[in-house]
Amino acid sequence: MDWLEQELKNALARKDPPPDFAGRVLGGVGRRAPSPIWRHSRWLAAAAAVVVIMGGAAAYRQHQGIEAKEKVMLAFRIAAVKVNHIQAHIQEAAR
Amino acid sequence: MTALRALGLAAAAAALLSAQQLKFNLDYLAAKASDSVDLSLNGATLQFAARFLSSKDADESKVKKMIASLDGIYIRTFEFKDAGAWSPADLEGVRQQLRGAEWSRIVGVKSGQEGENAEIYVRTENKKINGVAILVAGPKELTIVNIVGPVDLDSLASLGGHLGIPKVEITKQK
Repeated sequence: MDWLEQELKNALARKDPPPDFAGRVLGGVGRRAPSPIWRHSRWLAAAAAVVVIMGGAAAYRQHQGIEAKEKVMLAFRIAAVKVNHIQAHIQEAAR
Repeated sequence: MTALRALGLAAAAAALLSAQQLKFNLDYLAAKASDSVDLSLNGATLQFAARFLSSKDADESKVKKMIASLDGIYIRTFEFKDAGAWSPADLEGVRQQLRGAEWSRIVGVKSGQEGENAEIYVRTENKKINGVAILVAGPKELTIVNIVGPVDLDSLASLGGHLGIPKVEITKQK
């Protein structure tokens, strides 16, 4: 048991950090911590992406709507032309 | 129970709409045609399009009013370079559906000069028109129009003079 105790003591013994440890940790923190501007710009980028996607969807919907409207107008044009054509025939026959 | 009832009503409505709508598959004629139009506008498309029709524009406003209660518009038109590209058998499937009791032919015009047949059928339910079919068949032309839903034929005819359609002056007999 002595050797085990000795090994544990060695392993858990308090060791002082090297003298430049605090400086290195603080330096690393300064380098890696995101700045508030960076944090904001990430949100701004996300918001811009949402705006672009929503704008694209709205433009696509507008395009679809105009296409549907043109199809409806064409449908009524064809139907009305045919009805008018038939009316013209009836009128001719009545003369 | 309410959900089941709603589902049942929706199924009944769909079945009714399907009965009103003519079924015609004439895609094979498109290959022979020099010009063809295929329009399938269901109720949802019509209501969506209505949002883009201006109430300020006279023509668009008229069409907007007309489609408000419609359930669909289905059109197939073919124009052929030569006569005889289609046969009466092509129309038989459509005619068969129009022989149903709910359909009645209100106009039939046969033009000997042009060799053209034009007919208007209406579908009535509870004494109200809830569907129209227009068949125009000439040697070089075939048109089938099916409007599903309550249609006012006078309003449709009154589009003459609008939408770039020349107005036909109908003299009413006294």
